[in-house]
Amino acid sequence: MWVNMGPQHPMTHGLWNLKVRIDGEIIVDADPEMGYLHRGIEKISEDRHYNEVVTLMDRTCYVAGLSWETLYITAAEAALHIEVPERARWIRMLTDELQRIGSHVMWYAAFVQDIGLMTPFLYGMRDRDLILDLFQSFTGARMTYEYNRVGGVRNDLPNGFTDRARKVMDWLMPRFDEYDALCLGSDIFHRRCDDLGRLSATECIDLGITGPMLRSAGLARDLRKDRPYHRYDQVDFDVATATAGDVTARYLVRMEELRQSVRIVRQCLDWLDKHPGSVLAQELPRWLGAPYAPVGAEGYLLKRRYPSGTGFSAVEEPHGEAQAYVVNTGGEHPYRVKFRSPVFANMSGAKSYLVGYHVADIPPIMGSVDICVGEVDR
Amino acid sequence: MAASKPEKRPEERPTGLVWKPLTTAARQFAKSFVRPSTILYPYERLEDPKFREKVAVESGRPIGVGEIWDNYRGVHALNIATCISCNLCAFSCPDLCIDMVTVPGGDPKHPKKCPQIDYGKCSYCGFCSDACPEGCLTMTTHYELSTPKRSEMVYSPQRLFENYQHKLPMNPIRLARPANEDAILLDAPLCIGCNACARDCPTNCITMLDVAKPTAKPGEKLPRRIWKEPVVNDSDCVRCGTCISVCPKECLFWGTHK
Amino acid sequence: MATTLYSVSDAISSLLLGAVGSIFPEPVHGWLTSTDVVTGLAVLIFCAILLVASMINTIMLIWFERKLLGRFMDRRGAMHVGYAGLLQNFADGLKLFRKNTFMPREADRLGYFTGPTAYMVTSMILFGILPVSSGWNGGSLPLSLLLALAVFSFAPLFIFVSAWSSNNKYSLLGGMRSAAQMIAYEVPILLAVVAVVILAGSFDLNTIVLEQQNYWFWGPLVVALFVFFVGMLAEMERIPFDLPEAEAELVEGWNTEYGGMLFAFFMLADYVRALIGSLLVVLLFLGGWTMPSYVPTALTSFPLAGIFWFMLKTYAVFAIFVWIRASLPRVRTDQLLRIGWMRMIPLALLSIVLAGLVVLARCLPVFGCVPTLGG
Repeated sequence: MWVNMGPQHPMTHGLWNLKVRIDGEIIVDADPEMGYLHRGIEKISEDRHYNEVVTLMDRTCYVAGLSWETLYITAAEAALHIEVPERARWIRMLTDELQRIGSHVMWYAAFVQDIGLMTPFLYGMRDRDLILDLFQSFTGARMTYEYNRVGGVRNDLPNGFTDRARKVMDWLMPRFDEYDALCLGSDIFHRRCDDLGRLSATECIDLGITGPMLRSAGLARDLRKDRPYHRYDQVDFDVATATAGDVTARYLVRMEELRQSVRIVRQCLDWLDKHPGSVLAQELPRWLGAPYAPVGAEGYLLKRRYPSGTGFSAVEEPHGEAQAYVVNTGGEHPYRVKFRSPVFANMSGAKSYLVGYHVADIPPIMGSVDICVGEVDR
Repeated sequence: MAASKPEKRPEERPTGLVWKPLTTAARQFAKSFVRPSTILYPYERLEDPKFREKVAVESGRPIGVGEIWDNYRGVHALNIATCISCNLCAFSCPDLCIDMVTVPGGDPKHPKKCPQIDYGKCSYCGFCSDACPEGCLTMTTHYELSTPKRSEMVYSPQRLFENYQHKLPMNPIRLARPANEDAILLDAPLCIGCNACARDCPTNCITMLDVAKPTAKPGEKLPRRIWKEPVVNDSDCVRCGTCISVCPKECLFWGTHK
Repeated sequence: MATTLYSVSDAISSLLLGAVGSIFPEPVHGWLTSTDVVTGLAVLIFCAILLVASMINTIMLIWFERKLLGRFMDRRGAMHVGYAGLLQNFADGLKLFRKNTFMPREADRLGYFTGPTAYMVTSMILFGILPVSSGWNGGSLPLSLLLALAVFSFAPLFIFVSAWSSNNKYSLLGGMRSAAQMIAYEVPILLAVVAVVILAGSFDLNTIVLEQQNYWFWGPLVVALFVFFVGMLAEMERIPFDLPEAEAELVEGWNTEYGGMLFAFFMLADYVRALIGSLLVVLLFLGGWTMPSYVPTALTSFPLAGIFWFMLKTYAVFAIFVWIRASLPRVRTDQLLRIGWMRMIPLALLSIVLAGLVVLARCLPVFGCVPTLGG
């Protein structure tokens, strides 16, 4: 019997369809269908000014908007040959890590809700709210930040931000132990999640699965270490790994990443306290200038051509390895923007980690993938 | 596949069965009687600094500590009096939700136009207030604008001006202009002296100055034109690009003075 | 004779009929005040009081759970309608009343509409059987406990009927799970009850409570209490055993296709069953309306003290259900059934043995009392 889990189903966390063939309660086949949320972001980007694409990036993934902003903007800056001030790079790293905390906490909330525990959902949302408060204090919005600009970030951190952020980090650390007590401390959680959705590192590589899912299978692959962007080579942190490759292992990896992110955030805050400076490149051409509108660029481009180029960036996004490729042919708009969504690959392999388990195992297994359909369909 | 051997993880299995989650929840239960984390939204508001302080002290959570609402990007406020109708906000809007509509008070030949914002489309990115050279279009901390009618989501300049008059807290971030800002340059041989740029310049920073009419050499035909050329006062110019877009001969362009 | 529910309704009935009858001339007056008519109206009033009281209690139970769950989750629960949200559930009920009753096109009409109705009715019948305080019960039957459990176990049938007839895969899966789960946990519940019956020597709930005057049964029968409690969690389909309506995989389980008042029937009947479950735990193990003798007399002798203490205990038991709901995830079907058949039944059998030992121990001359069983 084929059962459609989606596109409107409590398990899906977004708009997608998981078709499973079941024999009694056992899954014998699975077929994920995406595309319900396709908004053509890549195509719209081709008709927008480089800075305006940032507004779309917040809408690709609603839980990790700033990670996608930095992903796009680093590629765009590479394509436009623009150097970014040091402080802006550190701020971007700080926002990336804060966003990772926000995203993982959100994942925790949704995942544990999937296995029937409602309390941690509220705990997770409560703690994510503090991260959103921090974002609001310097970007001005709670979810759609529009903070990055070509050449840096829109504005500097407000006064007293670092102290506030440290307070939040101090408050969050014991909460992570609380999370563990509610899940790992419970026998039922282990009954539900141990040895579910097992994947070996080889299978992960074959399927293109990245991020916490890959690390939970024992491979310490993390772009922040392997291909440092921003200033990740200057901060001290460990790559979280587990060996089992099952749902519990993914949980453990994400919880460890939360703690490592807090560690990185603290280092960023220390650095930012010591190094004031400009957050936006001053040597920008008029039509790319961040505070200003892209008006009259046609007139500009009639007279002189901007040097063309291509830019690539890869970011260890909370869900996995995200990549962006921007082609600049000298126009006001990018000629082509291409994104690689980690979740697309992660959930495409659904068949290989669902078959053989029970119907009741689908929510924890798919929950452990950390699905964000916005970035899958773009 | 499920066939592979399950791994033993003895150290992670809890010993107390379900005792730990029960005690954790109970601890939270006891704590929440002091002050639950939720805020009774219409009655309690985080915008109120005193309330924020109270919550932070009572619950021990660093909730909304500091001035988190200062930068908030909410509904716009427009000061009609200082608006120069430069069109920059409408140009910069990625959602095309800003229309420039006529407001009373301009001279009949060149009516004054101010932004009208359709909040059904607006994404609150703040590009318009960033672009506004006069600082007359700002974003406030006001965010409640639900209404039963779609047409009421369109805010006319007068309505935005009301927001300004109510003195809602404004987003204070004003971005500094880059030091090496481009200016309007003139490709002189192309100019026909038509006065369109000077006529439409919102800040009146363009003046048409006479240029000497060259004496035609025998056999040479002088171009038919008005012998005037625009001169831009760079310190008054807001870089709105109106002159570039109205120029019929495309002789104005962005560039840096040599 | 202490006031009972029936004597109260009888008094109301005769008062009413007397007042109404006095405005009519003689033959009508005489007929109205005759014993038959007064008794008939008294029975109706009795039923009405029971219905209203139980419905109000059920709705307040929902409120109680929402508020309690809120505090466990670091929030407040319903706050808007009425003081602290007291009237929120009445408002929700009114909203559901006003909703359109619809049916999927391919659904089976008979089963689709009888399922929820019968589920609701069979759940409500239990209020007529269970005593609330001495004398405050509907029918005082010698086998009331057996009857109560028999009626209680109707539910899987009607759930399965409504699930099957709504012609939905999720509903069918949920219905099958529900039936399997309830049947699996009927057995340990009945066995645990047998232990209580052995100790009390009667199937009459009144007698069982009176037997607990001196010591509550949870002391000697702690194993039976555990089995009964876990079994009730499964019967009430509450987390961690709420698989039939596991919303993560089965949308809403067997009530996926229901909306409006039919959905309200399911919802309400669930809470009726939750209330009944808590009542049964109190009746069988926590001494019902009796309080230990060391509690000051002033606290146990005020009017309606029995009902007060009984409801207090019931809500306390329900609070434990809520506490469990707030802190545990849901188990899987096969695990649930394995727990039911392989852990609970042996434990229930063990509790019967323990109950027998307790009865034997009571016969020992050291305690100097006579066993109830067999006279």
